[in-house]
Order: sequence, then C-alpha cells, then structure tokens
Amino acid sequence: MGPKQKGGAAKRGNATEEVEETLQAVVLADTFETRFEPFTLEKPRCLLPLANTPLIEYTLEFLANAGVEDVFLYGGAHSDQLEKYINASKWRAPSSPFKQLTFLKSTSTSVGDVMRDLDGKHLITGDFIVVSGDVISNLPIEGALTKHRARREADKNAIMTMILREAGRNHRTKSSSVSPVFVIDPTKDRCLHYEEIDHHSPESSRLNIDAELITTHQEIDLRQDLIDCNIDICTPDVLSLWSDSFDYQTPRKQFLYGVLKDYELNGKTIHTHIVKDHYAARVRNLKAYDAVSKDVISRWAYPLCPDTNLLRGHNYELRKGSLYQEQGVTLARSCVIGRRTVIGQGTSIGDKTTVKNTVLGRDCKIGKNVTLDGAYIWDGAVIGDGTTVNQAIVADRAVVGKNCTIEPGSLISFGVEIADGVKVSDGRRITTAYREEDDEVPASEPEVVGEGGKGYEYVPYDDDEDEDETASNASSGLIYNMANLSLSTESISTLSSEISEFGRSRSGSFSTTMSDDEDQDHFVHDAAASVYDSLRDGVTSDVVQLELVSLRMTANASDHQVRRAVVSAFMKRIQQLMDGGKGASEAIREIFGKYKEIVERSLFDRDSDEKPDQVDLLVLLQQDLAHRSRGDTVMLFTAKELYDLEIVEEEAYEQWWSDERSSSTEEMRQVRSQSQQFVDWLANAEEEESSEEEESDEDDE
Amino acid sequence: MPSTSAALTPGLASFLKSLKTNPIDTSIDDLISLLKRRQIRHSRSCATATAYLLRSVISATRTSDANKMIERVQHVGRRVMAAQPREMVVGNIVRRVLGLIRDEAEDDREADFTLSEAGSESQPQTPRALDDPSEVLSSRHEGSDRSSSRQPFTSLSATPISMFSLLSHPEPESSLPGTPASASPSGRLLGQSHNKDIRAEVLDGINEIIDELGQVDDQIAAYALEHIHSNEIILTHTSSTTVQKFLLKAAAKRKFTVIHAESYPNNHEATHATVSGQAPKDDDILSTEAFQKPLIALGITVILIPDSAVFALMSRVNKVILGTHSVLANGGLVAAAGTRVIARAAKVHQTPVVVVSGVYKLSPVYPFDFDSLIEYGDVSKVIGYEDGDLVDQIDVQNPLYDYVPAELVDLYITNLGGHAPSYLYRIVSDHYRKEDINV
Repeated sequence: MGPKQKGGAAKRGNATEEVEETLQAVVLADTFETRFEPFTLEKPRCLLPLANTPLIEYTLEFLANAGVEDVFLYGGAHSDQLEKYINASKWRAPSSPFKQLTFLKSTSTSVGDVMRDLDGKHLITGDFIVVSGDVISNLPIEGALTKHRARREADKNAIMTMILREAGRNHRTKSSSVSPVFVIDPTKDRCLHYEEIDHHSPESSRLNIDAELITTHQEIDLRQDLIDCNIDICTPDVLSLWSDSFDYQTPRKQFLYGVLKDYELNGKTIHTHIVKDHYAARVRNLKAYDAVSKDVISRWAYPLCPDTNLLRGHNYELRKGSLYQEQGVTLARSCVIGRRTVIGQGTSIGDKTTVKNTVLGRDCKIGKNVTLDGAYIWDGAVIGDGTTVNQAIVADRAVVGKNCTIEPGSLISFGVEIADGVKVSDGRRITTAYREEDDEVPASEPEVVGEGGKGYEYVPYDDDEDEDETASNASSGLIYNMANLSLSTESISTLSSEISEFGRSRSGSFSTTMSDDEDQDHFVHDAAASVYDSLRDGVTSDVVQLELVSLRMTANASDHQVRRAVVSAFMKRIQQLMDGGKGASEAIREIFGKYKEIVERSLFDRDSDEKPDQVDLLVLLQQDLAHRSRGDTVMLFTAKELYDLEIVEEEAYEQWWSDERSSSTEEMRQVRSQSQQFVDWLANAEEEESSEEEESDEDDE
Repeated sequence: MPSTSAALTPGLASFLKSLKTNPIDTSIDDLISLLKRRQIRHSRSCATATAYLLRSVISATRTSDANKMIERVQHVGRRVMAAQPREMVVGNIVRRVLGLIRDEAEDDREADFTLSEAGSESQPQTPRALDDPSEVLSSRHEGSDRSSSRQPFTSLSATPISMFSLLSHPEPESSLPGTPASASPSGRLLGQSHNKDIRAEVLDGINEIIDELGQVDDQIAAYALEHIHSNEIILTHTSSTTVQKFLLKAAAKRKFTVIHAESYPNNHEATHATVSGQAPKDDDILSTEAFQKPLIALGITVILIPDSAVFALMSRVNKVILGTHSVLANGGLVAAAGTRVIARAAKVHQTPVVVVSGVYKLSPVYPFDFDSLIEYGDVSKVIGYEDGDLVDQIDVQNPLYDYVPAELVDLYITNLGGHAPSYLYRIVSDHYRKEDINV
C-alpha cells in the first residue's frame, strides 16, 4: 500500500478546527434485562468478556473512534464493580480520548428512567449519542452525524437518527426470536412506524400499519432485515420527550413506537441511517454473544480484533487460521488447536486435547484428552482430563472435573465446581450466586454438580407464571445454541417474558391483549392518575395535554373517556384543595383557570347547535361530584366557572338541564340542586341579552 | 458541515495538533491508541507521527545524558511499536532516532578525545576527515560513517577505516548531487559540534528525518527519467503517491502508457480516484496530493484493469513499477495484497520489476516468519456481512499485504538512488545501528 499522506498534516488541522461542537454520548451500561443470567447475578453485563475483552471496552472504543468527547456512563446492577473497573481503566487516564467520563449511578429500573434522570440533570448540551454498553462496532459515525445535523438544521423536529445495519434474511447476529420491523420512507430516510414481531406468539405475526401512512407516502419500505444495534443520535428534545412520556420504559418498543404514533400530535420525526458496510452489532443475549464472538474472531469487526489488544497488557498475536494466542501459553506437544480460537496468557493445554472455535481466557488449565468445541472458557477456569465441553460457557474460576460432559447451551457460572464424571445436560444453568429472593446462597445440589461439587441449578424466580418460567428457562440454552434455533422453531426467548413483564407492571396501558372494556377502564384510571399528578405538581397545561393525548392515542380511547378522566382528576384535585382549607370557588378558579385548555380540548361541539360533548362533560361532573362532599356547591361554582371561561355555552346548560341523565337518580338531583339558580339566571340573562340584541339591532336600523 | 464532522475523527492531523498542547505521556498513549484503532495508517503517516512524537519526547527530557535519552526512547519506542507491529516504519524511525542519539554521544566523546589530542597532533583523526567532503554534507551518510567509527578509538588507525570507506562509498552517491537529500546539509561541519548540547543535536537530527519524510517522494521522482523511456508500457498497482509522483515526473517529458491494476477490494476506491484525478475524500490526504494532477491530464494513457487481468497483459508490459508498505533487509518487501501476483507474473514474462520506496520504509527485519508481517483486514470487504448464510458457514480472510520475496524484484529505487535487492542489507547497516535492531 503506497503512502498517501504528506508530512504537513498540521496545516490541515487548523483549517478544520473552527466550529467543533462537543459530541456527547450516553452509555447505558445496564439494559435492565435478565438475559445474561446467571452471570449477571455476580457481574455487570458489560464487564462480561467477549473474546477476553470486557464488552464495555468495545463500546468505549467505538465512541472514541467516533470522536466523542463527553461520556456519561449509567451503571445499573453492580455499578460499584463497573465504577471500579472504569476508574482503573485507560479511559480514566489522562490520555483518554474522552475529555470527560462521568459515571452516573442511578436507581433506575428501565432505560426510560435513565433518560428521565438524565433530563433532570441537565448534562446534555447538544446532540448526543445513546448506546448501550454492549455495542460492538467499527462504524465511523460522521456520515450519520452529518446527515442528522443537516436534517436538524432544516427541520427542528427531526429529533433522532437510528443507525441500523443491513443484514440478510438469516443472520447469526440478528435477533431471531423477535424481529423489529421498520417502516421507512426511503426518500427522506424517515422512520414511519415501528413494530416488533414476536416469532413465538402465534397471533402477533401481523403488522398493523396505519392506512394513512400508505396513502400519504409515495414510497415506503418495510424492512425486517436490519440489525438494530441501538446506536441513536439524539437531540436534547429526545430527553424531554422521554420526560413527557413518563411511562415509557424501553427505547424501541415504547419510545420509538409511541413517538411515531404521536407524530400528528407532536410532529417529531425519527430518521434512520442504514449502513451497508462496516460492522455494528449488539450483544443483546447469549445467542448474540456467540455470534458476535465469532464475528470478532473472524475479523468482521476489524480493527476490533483480539490482536488489536484493546486492553493494556494484552499481547495477542494472530496465527494462521484465525488463531489468536497470547505470550506465555503452554501447549502440550500432542494437542490440536483448531481454527477460530483465542488463547489467553498463562493457559495450559494438556496432551491430546482438541480445541477449536473456542475462546480460552487467561490462566485456564485444560487437562488431557479434553475436547473443546465452540466453548467459551473464561479466566482461571479448570477443565479436568477427558472432559468434553461443547458450545457452553464456563465462567471465571469454575472447575469442571474429570470425564465430565458439558452439553450444548450449558452455562456454568462463576466459581462453580463440577465433580468428576458428571454430565451437565442441555441448557442447564449452574451458579453459586447469592440469591436476593431467598436471602441466602442456596445449598449445592449434588444431583446437578455431583458429589463434592459446588453450585445449584439456577431457576429464575420471575413473577411469571409457570409456563413463562419454563419457557425462558429453556430459552437461554436454546438461544445460545445456534444449531437448534431458527426462525421457525418454537424456542422462546427471554425477551418475550421481559415484554410481558413490562406489560403487567405498567398496569397494562400499553398491552394490546386485554379486552376493550378492561383496556378503557385502565385508560381512565391511568389518565386520571396522570393528570391528577400533573395538577398536583403544577405542571403546565401543555405538558398535561401532551401526556393525555399520547395516552389517549395509545389506548385508542374515546373522547368521552378523556373527559371522564379529566373530570375525575380535576375534581379530585379541587376536593384536595378544599380540604386544604381553600374556598370552593377559589379552588375551582385556580384549577380551571390554569388548565382551561385541557377541558377545552376535550370538547368538539363548539360550532354546532347540539352540544353533546359539553352536556356530557357536565353530566360527568355531576356523576363525579355525587360521591364527594359538598358536591352541590362545587357543582354550582364549577358550572359558573366553566361559563365564565367560555368553556361551556349557555345552550349546553339548557340541554344539560333538560337531559334526562342529569336527573336520573336522587343523588344526581341532589348535586345539581344548587345549580338551579345559576341555570335560571342564565336563562334570564339570555333573554335579556336577546332582547338587548334586538334593541341594538333596532338601533342600528 | 462535512469539515466539522471530519474534525471530530481522530487521525494524524488531530494527533499532530494535540501533540503541541498535551503532556508527553498523553501523546504517547494517544498515538498508541490511534495506531491500534488504525486511525493512523499507511507508512508515511505512521512515520511522520512517530518522528514528531519522538521529537517531543526528546525535547521533554531534561537530561543531556545520552544513555538516559536512549533508555527513554527505547521505552517509548517499544510501546509504540507493540501497538501495531506490522507498521514497521514506526520501528524504523525509532531505530533511526536511537542511532542519532548514539552518534551524537559518540561524537561528543570523540570530540573530547580529539580536543584533548589536538594539542599534540596536528590533525584530528576522525574518520570523516578521510572521507569525501561532499559526504560530510549528507546527514545520513554522516550516520553511516559514524557507525563504522563506533569502535574504540584505539582501532581508529587509518588503514581499516579507509578500506571500509572505500567499500561503503555508495556508487550512486555521485549521481545525485542535485537531489534535495544531499542538498539539505545540516550545516554541522566538523569541529563545530564539539560543545553543543546533545539534545539540540538530536532534535536537529529528528527534524532532518521529518524533512526527509516530506521530501522523499520528490527525491525518488528525480530518478524517473532514467527509468521510464518513451513509448514504454508501465504497469503499476494501487494508489501510491510515490509511484504517482514518479510517473508524473517522467510524464512531463515523455509519453508512455500506464496500466493500473485496481487492487480490489482494499484499495480500489483510492486507485480509481488516483486514476481519474478526483481528489479522494480522505482527510489524511494532505493538500499537496489533493491538488495533484492525474496522469491523464498530462496526456498519458492510463488503463485501469482488474487485478485478474494482470497476467494476460503482462506480456505487453515493459516495466512494472510498484509502491510498497515496507522493505525488508533481505530485499523482500511487504506491499499491498496483489503485489506478489504481479511480481510473479512479471517474473514469468521476464519483465523488470522496479520498486520505489523511501529509505524510511527500509526495515532491518528479516522475514523469518513473514506470515506475522501480514495484516489481515476487514473481511466484509470480501463478502458482504449482510449475507448471513455465508457469514455463518465460511471463513474468509482478507490479507492487506503480500510478502514479495527478493528474487521477484529487480531494482529498488530509493531517495538514495537505485539498488539491487541484494544490496539493501548495506543500506540497512548504514541507517540502523546493530545494537538497535532489537529495540
């Protein structure tokens, strides 16, 4: 390769230094998922080694490549370990490519919480990149960044650019259990719709696209062949959107989906940047761990390869056949080292042992006559003579005895000891970790690890029903074992359980599986709670409105329900103010005055003669107040206030008064009794007004 | 907008910029990670970055004790070389700087020696006094004869030295008085350096290396007319600026035809850009190259061919001119993948193969294990990563370099002139000192 550069590089530097905006990045070190259990019980996920280098190194390397200067690292579980690691790493050294590396601890339990926390901290000043702590990529980001900035210049509402890697129909690095589907307008690179198709649930292999999308766009692409590596370039607006939508938890399924759905409302657009070359992938689960390990070893992610020696002190060298070996490896004369193997320092391999497609950490001891194929043996593990390990992970300091068989998909966690001659069957997960649920380290199970062994079989104590549990239990092995998994198999990923968990925990406001009634009740309840919270916190009406509309859209609720929610929230708040010692009229004026628009926006009959919406509102008020103390008084003042604010018109009061719903029960009549005088006054005033009008008409003539 | 984003990406330019402000240890780590991330690649950039770094290292050392300086440079050198062992120019520059320090140190001692002896003897017995005065002017050759003079002073008697200098007097030396290399005298004439600070001397020396890196292509191009004749058909490969300048120089006077193999898949885009004259959008490429006219603008016929057509066309080719990544001490070379095929085809057709390369690429390494010298690159350039089935089933390798054994090369043209491959060991020993071969 000929030299292409000339000596005077410094000259160029000056020309390009003028407007440099600091590029910030947020690394989500914890993605709040349980897919790496049991390993993540003891170690944060981003410190798990991939080709003997912790995952976070790859991510930070990617950011350094991208020219990022400020990094905010959000730790989740085991954040103390992570912090310790980061503090000792080269990223903290003065030579670090980052000007600033901030470690943020949070008690968040979801990505949404992290984003909202970040918004609250006001750390982000400009465009920033969000990545999770398990991204491996050699992608130069400037192309995407330039496009993003150009779009943002042209249109303030282009808030986010997602970087997606094109991959074929079948790809080992693609998630195979749930495939994201992107509906994209290729002319503008705009993402119009996003949905995740779960291959395991029978009914949801459908995609629901709003007909309007098809009619309004000349061209749309429906793409399922993209690896979503969760690299997003965001503007600060994204954070405020997260804050507005307080119940979004996941960046794709909820945030992306929600924002796209609410396009009509907030006008924000999200764009995609599809890359056709370079490597970008995420270690989202164990299957991806396997795939990405292979990619890294076969140099797809070049220059992120073992022989680049990302970590200080590593000295891997590439030998023929994708064999990476560090110095100080002891190989017996008769052992056979096959292709695609990584061997760390201090590891010794005994006679007649066969190793291929395997990653061996540092200081491992592999006995004689051992067969390792597709195994991931982490630092300091010991494998006894005559043992076979096939497509399994053996974690740090684990000991496997002699003549054992470790079947595909097994996960042997930190410090587990397996006695001689034990067969660890397909997909078992064995750990010695302390369990929070039981508040102790469960006793070793001899039937799993053999006599004298150490460790017990890990069964996730999810709150899931049994079915789910077994499914996810089986899945980690399946997920990991590529051979058994294809798009059509019935294996179930832990992702599905994760999603359903979310569905449940958030009172189902997003879930689509519930029946309509239930759904709508939930909507009223959720919306009322949300509006009430906002009223209490004194949030501005725009924000309340935004929340309300997004809730409405996601639940597909009717206007009636919106009014119901608004009324119950308002009345609850007013009641509370009155209990706090305020006068009824004062409280009502305060609330309705400030949040007038919210009520207004729920009424759509201003220009018609019939006022069903306004009547409905009044009836709902009446119904709500029927259960409250001093309901009648409140009703009167509310009616008056609504009139004064010109929210409800005179005709509506008349129609309401004559509406049979308003006088259906004794309670209802009780509530409206005091309003009698107001309605009477209204009627009179109207007459006067009309006569006045007549008079003035006459005057005019 | 693109200029802003380009500034974000670290590279040679950003490194050189930051070198001025950052503390030295930071710069060292910076260069190491840039090399590891392949953000500085290609021989020239690596050499330039290393030279600038070592200059800063030397100017940051507060000692004028040569041994401490050597230790320091060795320490830094080892780390930087380990970052990307296949960029051999990094090691070359480190070795040359080490050689410089040793020379200066010996000079110093020698000077003391000659000064003390000067009282009794009428003429100082330094070896250079025996040499051709024109050679004193050439800084590199100063190094060369000093390396021959590093024996204890007792062995400085006239006979062995003069014998040696006869041999070491390179033949092409006389043929290049007009080239910038010999025209850039350090001005350090005999006797003036006696009381100078070693550090300043070494810094001067490094500046000369940096100058050399800037001028080397033009120096090589000066030989173009001797090698390219009218109506010849020249075959070349990849986008090497050295080769391009060489051809351009000849094109100014003569008409010939160039067949350009594109070197798919690693460098074909750059090759296309070179051929068509569109300034490549590589930010490391510096202004002079960007404004360079392509050969076609000078009326030269350039034929771009795929690499596979090389053998078929070889029978018509008069000369093969190749650029290289680095040159090894045995005369073999490590060059862009595809070079070996071309050299092999040329051998079959008895076509002369000429390699143009700056002396800075000449490495004192013998290719005992040439596999380890070859960098394996991004596989996705060979098959698309999106082809999931293939990715899963097959192992792909994408070597960036080829090792070309010495017997396939007929002539090397460096900034010092033309050399046979078998002569390169001599230039190696001129430029690098034995004790520095293993840094």
